[in-house]
Amino acid sequence: MSAPAIELIGLNKWYGAFQVLKDIDLRVREGERIVVCGPSGSGKSTMIRCINQLEHHQQGDVLIHGQAFGESAARDEAIRRDIGMVFQQFNLFPHLTVLENCTFALIWVKQMPKAEAEALAMSLLERVRIPEQAHKFPLQLSGGQQQRVAIARALCMAPKVMLFDEPTSALDPEMISEVLDVMIELAESGMTMIVVTHEMSFARRVADRVIFMDQGEIVEEAPPAEFFTTPKYDRTRLFLSQIL
Amino acid sequence: MADALIFQPKAGKPAPASTLGVAGWVRGNLFSSLPNAILTLLGAYIAYAFLSAVIGWALIDAVWEAKNRRECLDLVGRAGACWPGVKAWIPNLIYGLYPKDQVWRINTGFLVLAVWAVPLFLPWVRSKVVIGLSMALLYPLLASYFFHGGERDLLWTVLIALGLAGFLASWVIAIGEWRGEVRLLEGRRRWVVGGGLYLLSLLLVSQWQLQEVQTRVWGGLFLTLVISGFGITFSLPAGILLALGRRSRMPLIAAVSTTFIELFRSVPLITVLFMFNTMLPLFLPAGVEVNRLLRAIVAVCLFSSAYMAEIVRGGLQAIPKGQYEAAAAVGLGFWQSTSLIILPQALRIAIPNIVGTFIGLFKDTTLVSIIGLFDLLSMARAVGEDTVWLGLFIEPFFFVTMLYFVFCFSMSQYSFNLEAKLGAGQRR
Repeated sequence: MSAPAIELIGLNKWYGAFQVLKDIDLRVREGERIVVCGPSGSGKSTMIRCINQLEHHQQGDVLIHGQAFGESAARDEAIRRDIGMVFQQFNLFPHLTVLENCTFALIWVKQMPKAEAEALAMSLLERVRIPEQAHKFPLQLSGGQQQRVAIARALCMAPKVMLFDEPTSALDPEMISEVLDVMIELAESGMTMIVVTHEMSFARRVADRVIFMDQGEIVEEAPPAEFFTTPKYDRTRLFLSQIL
Repeated sequence: MADALIFQPKAGKPAPASTLGVAGWVRGNLFSSLPNAILTLLGAYIAYAFLSAVIGWALIDAVWEAKNRRECLDLVGRAGACWPGVKAWIPNLIYGLYPKDQVWRINTGFLVLAVWAVPLFLPWVRSKVVIGLSMALLYPLLASYFFHGGERDLLWTVLIALGLAGFLASWVIAIGEWRGEVRLLEGRRRWVVGGGLYLLSLLLVSQWQLQEVQTRVWGGLFLTLVISGFGITFSLPAGILLALGRRSRMPLIAAVSTTFIELFRSVPLITVLFMFNTMLPLFLPAGVEVNRLLRAIVAVCLFSSAYMAEIVRGGLQAIPKGQYEAAAAVGLGFWQSTSLIILPQALRIAIPNIVGTFIGLFKDTTLVSIIGLFDLLSMARAVGEDTVWLGLFIEPFFFVTMLYFVFCFSMSQYSFNLEAKLGAGQRR
C-alpha cells in the first residue's frame, strides 16, 4: 500500500510555555476528506498550518506522501507545492488581477509559458464559476467571489492535497453556499481534503471522517453519521449542542 | 396559501437643489455659518494682500534692463525687483563655473537622460521596469564621462560603452514593442542584439574624446542635480536592502543593518558631510585622494539610504502576514515572494513618504556649500557679492526659490500620478 497522503505522528507544539498541540496523531489516506471542528483556541488551525509548515512544530513528524519537511529549503518548497491552501481571509494578492493571481505561481515557480498558464487559469476560474471576473482586481469582488478565486489559485498548482482553514468564516451568510458548492464539487472529484470548518451540513455531506479538537488534543474522530448521532464524549456533545 | 408579496425598491429622489452646482458648493464650503463666512473673507483678504505685494514687486515695479545695481536703485529704489542681475548670472546659477564652451555637454547629457526616459511614458511600451532599471544603473556611467571627460583607462571605456549600449538597447526595446517586432527580443536573439549594440557602443566610445572638466568648477543647478540624482538612485535600492536586513531573522545581518540605520539617523547631515570631508582622508593611505564631490555624494547617499530604509520598513510592516503565507503556500521562495508580492505592495504604500524623502534630499543638498561646493544656493548668494550687482540678494533667492518649487512640485505631482495609476482597482 502506498504511503498515506498526510501523516502526523506525535505532533507537539508550544507557543512559548503554552502547549497548543498535544500528541497529535493523524493519518489521511489519499482521496480522503476530513472535517476538523472544535471551539476557538482548540488548535485546529495550528494543526492544519503545521501540515504545510506555515507553523513549525517542536516535536513529532509531518510526512507528506512519506516525505518529511526540514531537509532543505528548496525541498520544503517543492513539498509545499503539492499542498494547496485556502485561508479564512482569502489572502489574494491585491496588486494583481484575478487572472494574474492564478497564473503567478505557474509562471514564476513552474516556469510555465504565459499563454499556457493563462489557459489553465481560465479553465479553473470557469470551474469555480467566475471566468467573467478574470481581469478585475480582487478587492473589486465580493467575499464569496474572492474565496472562489483563492480556491482556483490553489488548484492551479495541481496540488495533491487541499487544506481549507475556515474558508467560510469571514463571509456574509448569503455567500457561504457559493463557496461550499465549489468545495463539494471538488470533494466529489476525489481530491484529498482537510477542512477546518463549522459548516456541519458540509461535514455531513462530504466528510469521510469528522475530527473534534479541544485544548490542543484530538478528542473524537468518527464518520459523520456516527459523529453527529452518537458522539462518545460529553465534550463533543456539549459542542454539538451549541452549534447545531 | 396566498401569493408572496413582490418587493419593489423605491426610485432614488433627486438631491436637494441647495446642495448642487456652484452656488451649492459656495454655500456649503465657504459660507456655511457666520464664523466660516468671516474666515473666508479674512483668508481672501490675506491672499489678496500677499499676492498683490509680490506681483507688484516682482512684475509691475520691476526693472528689466540695467547695466548694474546702481541703475536699478536709481530707477525704482527698493520698491521693485532688479532682474538684470539675475539674468546676467543665469548661466552661472545653472552651470556653475563650468567652462562656457563646454556647457553643451551638460545640456546634451540631460537631453540624453530625457530621451532615455521617454519610453517610460509611452503606453505601448511594456518593458518599463527593464528600461527604468537600465536608466538608473547605466546612465551614471555615461553621464560621468559626459560631464567630467578627460583621460580614461580600459575599464572606464568599457563601462562608458555599457552606459551608451543601455541607452540604445532601451530604444531598441521601445521601438520593437511599438512595431510588434518582439521576435528580436526573445531567446538567443536577445543576446545577439545586445552584444551587437555593445560592440557598436564600444567602437563609438573609443573614438570619443572629451576635454577634462574638473569637479572643482561644477556648480549651480547642475551640481544640485548631480548630487541629488545620485542620492535618489542610490538610496532607494540601498534602503530596500537595509529594511529587509533589519527585518531579517539572521542576527548578524539584522544587527549590521540596524546599527547602520540608527547611526546615520542619529546625526545631522551636516555632521556626516563634515566627517566625510575632513575625517575620511585621515583614514586613507597617504597619496590616495578622493575627490571632494565624490565624498559629498557618498555622504548624501549613505545618509538618505538610512532614512529610506525606515520608510520602506514602514511599508513592509503594513503588509499583512497572510500575504507572506499565501506566497509560501503556492511555493514561492523568500526572494520571489519578497520582490514580486511584498515589495510592490509595500512600495506603493510608501510612495508618499519615499517622494517626500526625495524632495527633502533635493533641498538638503544645499548643505554641501559648507564643504566648499557651489550648489544652486551658494551660486545665488554669489550674485550679491559680484561688484556689479553688489547687495543684490533678494532677487536671486526669489529666482532660486521658484526653481526649487518647480522641481519639488513636479516631483510631488508625479508621485500623485503614480499613486493613482498603481492604485487602480485596489482601493480597500
